[in-house]
Amino acid sequence: MATALDGNELDELLERCARRDAEALRALYARTAPQLLAILVRMLGTRTAAEDALQDVFIRIWQQAGQFARVKGRAMAWMVAIARNRAIDLQRAGRPSVLLEAAELAGAEQMRVEGPAEHAEFGAAHEALRRCLEILGTAQRQCLLLAYQRGLTHERIALSIGQPLGTVKSWVRRGLQSLRACMES
Amino acid sequence: MNYNRPELLDRLAAEYVLGLLRHRARARFERLCAELPAALTARQRWEERLLPLSLALAPVAPDANRWPQIERAIAALNGASAAPRVATRSAARRWWPVAAAAALVGVALLVGKLTYWSEPAWEPVAVLAPANAAPLWRLERSADGAQITIRALSPITLSATKSYELWILPSAGGNPVSLGLMPRYGKLERRLTPAQRTLLAAARQIAVSVEPLGGSPTGVPTGPVVIVASVMRAT
Repeated sequence: MATALDGNELDELLERCARRDAEALRALYARTAPQLLAILVRMLGTRTAAEDALQDVFIRIWQQAGQFARVKGRAMAWMVAIARNRAIDLQRAGRPSVLLEAAELAGAEQMRVEGPAEHAEFGAAHEALRRCLEILGTAQRQCLLLAYQRGLTHERIALSIGQPLGTVKSWVRRGLQSLRACMES
Repeated sequence: MNYNRPELLDRLAAEYVLGLLRHRARARFERLCAELPAALTARQRWEERLLPLSLALAPVAPDANRWPQIERAIAALNGASAAPRVATRSAARRWWPVAAAAALVGVALLVGKLTYWSEPAWEPVAVLAPANAAPLWRLERSADGAQITIRALSPITLSATKSYELWILPSAGGNPVSLGLMPRYGKLERRLTPAQRTLLAAARQIAVSVEPLGGSPTGVPTGPVVIVASVMRAT
């Protein structure tokens, strides 16, 4: 798995998909489906919904590969964005999900950025993000993680952590500002 | 909203990537990204900044049946062009002795077929030109009508605070229906909703209007209509 997410290789596979090479899609699936499924399970909550969404995601990757503009290492970010957008669409269109349990919230707070070590290519980015998230206040960090990893809206974050909506919005905004400032420094 | 303020664009991009924008604001930001390079850049930077949070999740192996289902779905979607190059190559190999023995016309047919399979088929829909001026865009649709391509024929100059928006003028009357913003350069591919697809298939005319940056805030044209063009019938 050491080279599972090698950026250059993913770029090349996507380009081959754009040329309608189905073998490239199969290779892309083998390398990235488990990571994309992890994202979808986290956002959609159930394995069945996540697997169905995974199917939609790979159909979209196949259809939209021609729009992928090759920039070194961007392939994974591009595919993750497709997966996250699909999950967000499904969440918004679907039934309101249940509020997170206290134990889950504690778990969310523990979501550190301890990316698997084998993603060496992303090592520096992991380290920078981990360092910058730790600088944030606990509440700000928790809001950003609940939004990004769980796909929760401002309203759902507010309900889940029992804070007023305005407070949550302000934590998110300040958290994002600090994160950007830290990552650009 | 003034999208020329970098800090505002960056905040919108961050909230978009986090998934915090509401449905309309989300769609609007996506349209903006198609038109304004600074918006797309801001969005991509946030996608990359936050990517480690996605890669940090422990991978989950999909069910073994999932890939065959995806393969079938893609084959059903693309028809003949799907089960692609591998199949066409082996077919070509198998039939080569026959083709070699056949008349030249047979070979020409085979070559024609391979070319058809390897190229996505696009049909012209309209050439968009203001009155008495050179064409600015060419609009095409995929053979199945599910996608359009808008190609800027030369870089488009327009005020930084304005956008060009494309509209279907429904043949049955009623309000124009947006097909999104026009690219200022290069080519833009866009998937159509089933409703847009049906309307475009039946439409006789489409139009382009000048709108505030990011597109019409109301869902119908608000600025001057600068182009009205006839839709070519599907062949």
